[in-house]
Amino acid sequence: MSFVPHSASRTSHWKCFIVLFFLVLGVGVPQGGLRAMPPVQRMVLPNHLVLLASEDHSLPFVTLQLLVDSGSWRDPRGEEGLAYLTAKGLLLGTSKHNVNQINETLDFMGATLNASSGRDYATLTLRVLKKDLDKGFDLFLEVLTQPVFPEEELKREIEKTLAAIQSQEDQPDEVAERTFVRTLFLDSPYGHPAEGTRESVPKLTREGIVRFYRSYYHPNNAILTVIGDMTDQELKEKLISRLEKWPRGDIPKLPFVSKFEKEQKTVKVNRPITQANILLGHAGVSRENPDFYALTVMNYILGGGGFASRLMAEIRNKRGLAYSVGSFFDPGKYPGSFQIVLQTKNPSARDAISLSLQQIERIQKELVSEKELEGAKKYLVGSFPMRFDTQGKLANFLIQVEYYGLGLDYPEKYPSLIQSVTRDEVLRVAKKYLHPEKYVLVIVANLKEAGME
Amino acid sequence: MKRLWRTRAIFLSLSLSLLLTTISEAGLKENVFETVLPNGLKVILLENHKAPLVTFQVWYRVGSRNETWEKTGLSHMLEHMMFKGTEKIGPEEFSRIIQENGGNDNAFTSYDYTAYFENLNADRIQVSIDLESDRMQNLLLREEDFRTERMVVMEERRLRTDDNPQAVLAEQVMAAAFEMQPYHWPIIGWMEDIARFTLEDLKTYYKTYYNPVNAILVIVGDFKKDDLLPKIDQAFGSYPRGAAPPQEKDIDPPQIGERRIFVKKEAQLPSLVMGYHVPNFREQDSYVLEVIATILSGGKSSRLYQSLVREKRLTLSVDADHSLTSRDPSLFTLSAELLPGKEVAEVEKAFDQEVEQLKKDPVEKQELEKAKNQLEASFIFAQDSLFYQAMLLARYEIALSWKTIDDYLPSVRKVSPEDIQRVAKKYLTPDNRTVGILIPLPLKEGKSEPAGSSVKEHLVR
Repeated sequence: MSFVPHSASRTSHWKCFIVLFFLVLGVGVPQGGLRAMPPVQRMVLPNHLVLLASEDHSLPFVTLQLLVDSGSWRDPRGEEGLAYLTAKGLLLGTSKHNVNQINETLDFMGATLNASSGRDYATLTLRVLKKDLDKGFDLFLEVLTQPVFPEEELKREIEKTLAAIQSQEDQPDEVAERTFVRTLFLDSPYGHPAEGTRESVPKLTREGIVRFYRSYYHPNNAILTVIGDMTDQELKEKLISRLEKWPRGDIPKLPFVSKFEKEQKTVKVNRPITQANILLGHAGVSRENPDFYALTVMNYILGGGGFASRLMAEIRNKRGLAYSVGSFFDPGKYPGSFQIVLQTKNPSARDAISLSLQQIERIQKELVSEKELEGAKKYLVGSFPMRFDTQGKLANFLIQVEYYGLGLDYPEKYPSLIQSVTRDEVLRVAKKYLHPEKYVLVIVANLKEAGME
Repeated sequence: MKRLWRTRAIFLSLSLSLLLTTISEAGLKENVFETVLPNGLKVILLENHKAPLVTFQVWYRVGSRNETWEKTGLSHMLEHMMFKGTEKIGPEEFSRIIQENGGNDNAFTSYDYTAYFENLNADRIQVSIDLESDRMQNLLLREEDFRTERMVVMEERRLRTDDNPQAVLAEQVMAAAFEMQPYHWPIIGWMEDIARFTLEDLKTYYKTYYNPVNAILVIVGDFKKDDLLPKIDQAFGSYPRGAAPPQEKDIDPPQIGERRIFVKKEAQLPSLVMGYHVPNFREQDSYVLEVIATILSGGKSSRLYQSLVREKRLTLSVDADHSLTSRDPSLFTLSAELLPGKEVAEVEKAFDQEVEQLKKDPVEKQELEKAKNQLEASFIFAQDSLFYQAMLLARYEIALSWKTIDDYLPSVRKVSPEDIQRVAKKYLTPDNRTVGILIPLPLKEGKSEPAGSSVKEHLVR
């Protein structure tokens, strides 16, 4: 926690969702003739590591981001949080350096090295000044290939994770999200938070982590992006020569069995707060669903397009019922969810819920207007270059292009993928993928004030 | 001080300096172009041709520090109203237009300023010029829009503060630490004040503060200065100057004894904040505090992390924060969220030990160099974003002058172990601080599950 005398602002984070939850919203060249993306080199090393590199010498630093296909969906039952702890565990000590030495080395360079895991994959990200590239990369490779997962450090990390989980109980939006995920995904692999639960985390063991690490952390199960101040020569000499030594391994084949709550469910959580935190949603799609693009357009109009969206217009602008309101799909490698999320003072909860449902029904009944359709396309296509206008964003973008198999010509393809969406298409996907008659509704509120006891 | 705004992300430390994108050591003075139009509008331009993008920002020298009792939060309210239309465009059309041009827009208010920005493709810059110039002088403030938007602001306050125990704590600490000084009240305003706003308040505020003489344009990205300036002049140049509102505000007299406040609220874990009154970068000691903050909490090898998180296992997180570019002197804060079952008194003792050590033992060469390296590296990383470059220029300009960004690294580099001892002794004293403690109350007992509901319901404690 840091001391945050807040500033305040006009609106919330929904624009971010357009980027984040739609993952690689690659969109091609807007009407200005701009370049689609910086040049990228793709290579597959002999150990099957996929490497994507993009040179940029405007600033003397480098960003490396590694993806390992080892997300929390692979947590064995009863070991929820294992993937997450394994990722965190990489930084807790290697065969050459203990955790304090690692942190001292990084801090002395002013570099950052972070590891984490989400439900689909884990990431390891290094940002280092060019002048420290050798040392930074040494450390990167060391934590990746030679972690020792010291028992004592794991204990601390578990303690920290449990405290963080507990602390999240103070954040009604986190409570709503967790409750929703649990209720919608049931006990399927997407049904638990990546960091695990209060019940599962204390049971995680070093043995389990080592097992997980050995199963998944292999080059043939990974993608690496390297962005910034590094020449082709340096890439080959400094990085590739060392990366090639990382040995391949057999990756267990795990089936993913999707499961969703089939009945309408309402879950109410009582909290002494002034706002009802409302989350209404249901099953969604996976990234590879061919209707992804039509859904992107549809959702932009419904609630993803910030101030250009209907939910914002009806619930915030017209009626002043919320500061933050929006909708999104969160497509993963496997089918994710669809969500409408908003917060409104307790007494307005019922109103806000019915307004949201009305908007779902409306977009399923009537064609959207030409104006709305064009507006969506112009934004999605036109804002594309800003999805990779920093090293970090480009690294993340390329990782996802590769992970979802979109092809490096994705930026060129995207404009037509979006432009080809018609009003009829929007209607079709709205009818097919939105379910206003059957959803999971989570309300975290002062239930008495919300009239929902 | 940190700011939360639209995306609720935590942004990089606002003490980051700004170097060129192509030249790593040369100062900004050679690459940033500044001009002031005859009507007082200051224009700050930094060309960056790495990508065909641009950030266009308008910063007004008005924030919550310019407000008065019973009308706190007005700057922020006006920020919201700036999107409600002019003669030319209707309510909420602003963002729609920007988005249709493939851009993103946002705005934020802080203690010292209100800022508006668009991130756009370079070939659409005229859209920003037109829209921003239009609403600088032609905003329509309508009763109906105001009433609904005021409700929105109240929801925002509930979201950011009222339902967030740590935010309540922070708000209370600021109120206790500052008495006369307008940092006393929150940027978003007290809920009671928000409820009392009138349209007249807004109209007067807009006329007073939204004038060329009180505004700064900051544009960073892919444009040519000689093409851009005539366009800016055409759009903004004919506006009347307006009167520059007085900007000197009361600074509290030195605090002569510790203040201690408690906040009891339903929460999971205790928190502790300690705020010390310190100078801003108009005084050299502020750069020393910048280094101190990094030594204390820069990365996981830092002193507070090692001591409170690792060794003593007292806290989940810990932070030292300094506001270099606060327009008026603000607070240097130490803060922590405790681990379950730990005592606040122990954390306070641990903080005190770290502060005493700063005073007693000169920082060793390696550790000092580490802190300086961290600040310099952050500085370079931050340049990767046009948006942040512009923000940095603007924030320095609001606080004093953008040109002082060139002093940042040299001033940091100059900091000596003796400086650190001296500054710690001078400012990090109990008499100079306000201590805020969040005492968690347990959640109240809930009611039993209602019977016979038509949908399957599940009441969760």
